[in-house]
Amino acid sequence: MTSRRTALSRRALLTAAGSAAALTACASGSGAVGPNTPLRVAAANHVWSNALRERLPEFEQVTGRRVSMQILTADQLSSSYNVKLNASAVDLDVMMMRPLQEQLLFARNDWLVDLTDRVADPAFDWADVQDAARARSTTRDRVLSVPVVTERPALYYRKDLLPDGPPQTLEALLEQALSFTDRDAGVYGFVGRGQRAPAVSQWSNILYSFGGDFTTPEGRSGIDTPAARAAYTYYGDLLRRAGPPGATNMSLEQTMPIFAQGKSAFLIDADSVYTNFTDPKISKIIDTVGFGPWPAGPAGSVPYDIPSWSLAISRFSRLQDDAWSFLQWAAGPEKVLEIQTAGIPGARRSAWADPAAVAGFPPELAESMRRNIENGADHDRPEVIQVGRARDIVGRPLVAAILGQDVDAVAADAHEEFTDFLVRDNRQQEA
Amino acid sequence: MSTTHPGRTSERLSVAPAGKPSRTFEQQNRRLRWLMLTPALGFVGLMIIFPLLFTLNLSFTDAFGAVNSGRRYLGLQNFADALSDNRRFWPALGRTAVFTVGAVALETVFGLAIAMLMRKAFTGARIVRTILMVPLLATPVAIGILWLLILDPTSGIANELLQGIGVPRQEFLGSVSQSLGVLMLIDVWQWTPMMTLLLLAGLSTLPEEPEEAALVDGASAWQRFRFVILPMLSTTLLTALVLRAVDALKTFDILYATKGPGGGSDFEVETLNVYAYGLTFDYQEYGLAAAVLVLFTLGIIGVVVVLRLRSGRTTS
Amino acid sequence: MSTATATRTAALRPVVRRTPWGPLRALAITLVCLVIVAPVVWMIAAGFKTNVQVTDPTVGLIFSPTLDNFRNVLADGEILRSMGNSAIVGVVSTVLAAVIAVPAAWAVGRFSMHRTGSLVLVARIVPAISLLVPWYYVFAQIGLVGSYTVLVLSHMFVAVPLILWIMIGFFEGLPVELEEAARTDGLSAFGAFLRIALPLAAPGTATAAVLAFISSWNNFMFALILSDETTQTMPVTLFTFISYASTDWGGLMAAATLMTVPVLLAAVFGQKYLVAGLTAGATKG
Repeated sequence: MTSRRTALSRRALLTAAGSAAALTACASGSGAVGPNTPLRVAAANHVWSNALRERLPEFEQVTGRRVSMQILTADQLSSSYNVKLNASAVDLDVMMMRPLQEQLLFARNDWLVDLTDRVADPAFDWADVQDAARARSTTRDRVLSVPVVTERPALYYRKDLLPDGPPQTLEALLEQALSFTDRDAGVYGFVGRGQRAPAVSQWSNILYSFGGDFTTPEGRSGIDTPAARAAYTYYGDLLRRAGPPGATNMSLEQTMPIFAQGKSAFLIDADSVYTNFTDPKISKIIDTVGFGPWPAGPAGSVPYDIPSWSLAISRFSRLQDDAWSFLQWAAGPEKVLEIQTAGIPGARRSAWADPAAVAGFPPELAESMRRNIENGADHDRPEVIQVGRARDIVGRPLVAAILGQDVDAVAADAHEEFTDFLVRDNRQQEA
Repeated sequence: MSTTHPGRTSERLSVAPAGKPSRTFEQQNRRLRWLMLTPALGFVGLMIIFPLLFTLNLSFTDAFGAVNSGRRYLGLQNFADALSDNRRFWPALGRTAVFTVGAVALETVFGLAIAMLMRKAFTGARIVRTILMVPLLATPVAIGILWLLILDPTSGIANELLQGIGVPRQEFLGSVSQSLGVLMLIDVWQWTPMMTLLLLAGLSTLPEEPEEAALVDGASAWQRFRFVILPMLSTTLLTALVLRAVDALKTFDILYATKGPGGGSDFEVETLNVYAYGLTFDYQEYGLAAAVLVLFTLGIIGVVVVLRLRSGRTTS
Repeated sequence: MSTATATRTAALRPVVRRTPWGPLRALAITLVCLVIVAPVVWMIAAGFKTNVQVTDPTVGLIFSPTLDNFRNVLADGEILRSMGNSAIVGVVSTVLAAVIAVPAAWAVGRFSMHRTGSLVLVARIVPAISLLVPWYYVFAQIGLVGSYTVLVLSHMFVAVPLILWIMIGFFEGLPVELEEAARTDGLSAFGAFLRIALPLAAPGTATAAVLAFISSWNNFMFALILSDETTQTMPVTLFTFISYASTDWGGLMAAATLMTVPVLLAAVFGQKYLVAGLTAGATKG
């Protein structure tokens, strides 16, 4: 029995060593790039990604290059970029990223390929892309990304509850939302993001419509101005008094089902997610959902109109030419028109001018999008390198308002923190 | 700490059979034991020492954005920043302390109580021990998600049961004020069995005479427990405490799985571990994160040392 | 021990006392078991419910079950692959960790090298994040991030101290005489370890291996940071499920149940050994 044991353990040792060696070989085998190497595309869980995924075979046929598309949540995608780009990983080629959230940081870290020369290709028609979107794709005169999805807020509402149409002012919205709230019956007037960081971008619409902004024109913190405080208080009231319990734990994934199940009169979120409410498989309100333009605050109706998602190429990619082909294909005039017709708003003027594409959206939504584009501001979050930290700072008074705490005190403290932060961030930008 | 065994005679000279080379057991053993130990020492050393030194180095720099971007040395600036940060660092430390002390205290008390209940044989003891093991072997992420369902304010069974006995509905993990407490209780649910098993093992090694003597002297059950059993159990108790405390200080999975990055909208469950994670992967402030981690590690070591010292004082 | 005490204690041991405490004690123990087991039962039951039933709090344990959730989960290629990943990483890391930790435990236990042994146990104290940044910096230079290798190595980092901790206790408890006898019979020191100590410690090794495998199976943070979509393990997949499918609680619970199955099996079949393994070293101080 002893000898058998010895033989066993020797065999075990050999197997272990062998498998370890095999694993290492597998891992380092990724060095070589050949015609069979897939183009690695990392994408976020978004209607655009799903639409593109369906059309991948087209690209694969034309270029002969297989595409491997990985879909993650926005948080995970950020984490994944963090890990891979810090590690100069070569298994990432095309990156779907949020220019307003990540471009400044990625640019500072020198992680993105300079596309300035490539977009000059007349077939790509860079001039066709909307001005604001082009501006956000450019950092320090270098084009580092190409936009594929644009976004504005939509005031989703229930047509059956509001036969006279959606409210035109923020004041009316609050009033009407309160009137529909009946906690005991599990029915709410309003549902929207309450989680600190995700809520900031939706709240920015309110901030702008009250006449405020994250930073003053001089570049200083603007979250302690009367306009900002009023905006914090407004959103806090809206969610606290007319919203569901546990609102501070909710982001898009939690608010959507509530509205789709018919439990709320209003929802504020991106207009690009409207298909969730017109899909009979998950929505009970396909016949009664309405889309209103952004209501006016004391300073008018000022929603954001931004390129929410763009494509970029990782500097460490070994398939940069193929990656550019992918960008050309996915963000080019043809595909953008096709996808916009399927209901996903892009950044090209030609697509917006095309009546067939506009007809792809529900008419009320198309009209509200048009109005929002007219009035739109070009950012929905602080324009800094460390957007994550900035959102956490400016989101604190927002959460305080939702919880019914002393907004003034928290805003004053957040203002101090934001001021310090801006000093450090500016230094980083100049570095 | 070591229990000396009679008969551990690594120094015994061999009575070498005639003709064999006379290397003593001692010498052979010495070479061999280092040989046996080296792979493990080497592996752990490589996987810990270098990274720790790297992190320590990072903590003195302003490393930010990309790990290998240029960085300057700031001396102790990061530590000063962390220690003067009343908005995130100190509250995180406070929450870590509250969570750890609260959860571990409850786990110890319940664990001890259940162990005392179970120490004498009874039918079905095997089944009970099997049941006890389930929460502590299950995946913390799965446990977090499970409790998210049970405690969901609108569709969870917990609120349903509460309403049935006349208690108003709670927000549990959806509430900023209740989250940390709720997660502590979830931790207690998961790890009390661990304490129970550890203490049961300890109880089973206790000699019976002192208890019997106390019984004969007319001591009540409580007095027997307090003055006879507890002191004898103290070494096991403290070992179990150290084990659980170190793990509780580093709790991450259930906090992250239920509240996500940042420990919730009002940072309500942001402990030092969660904070360090956020600094590293959400803010990319590697220098500051490293400083926080150094302080955190020193804190854990401090806790272990303090508990060990107490253990020394009780047994001496 | 005097004869009188011996007789007395012999007479008192180990009779199951029929005291008035009996039923109360039974009640208390049953209550504890219920509290522990109820949530797990709930999770398994939810796996058999439709989403409408799961989110309806009035639906308890009486309902007509459906296998749809389990069918969907098992048909989901991603989930199957990540289960496979969890299994591969678990087995490989456990085997490798055992290979280097068991001999080390023998050395520490046999020769009372506790100070050196403690050095390895330092690994338990350090927070994992403080190692993650340097780890992927180094692994990046070698090009291993996102590979099985880096996951195995990081899981070994947890498994080695765990196996060491358990096995030290076992080896300490082994009588030295057997090995010494083998030595005088002409066996080398290593031979004595291999042919005498190791077989005797087999139960302990098995226990330690199972516990190490389970800890790897459950590991979340390392995979969260170091894996990519092909090497993702179950805890991370489960976590992403929440965000994707915030309304698919049935599927989520089915996946969680499938994930917990190995754990339940281990608990049921290995109860005696696992308890011994978990508590090893506790009584030794």
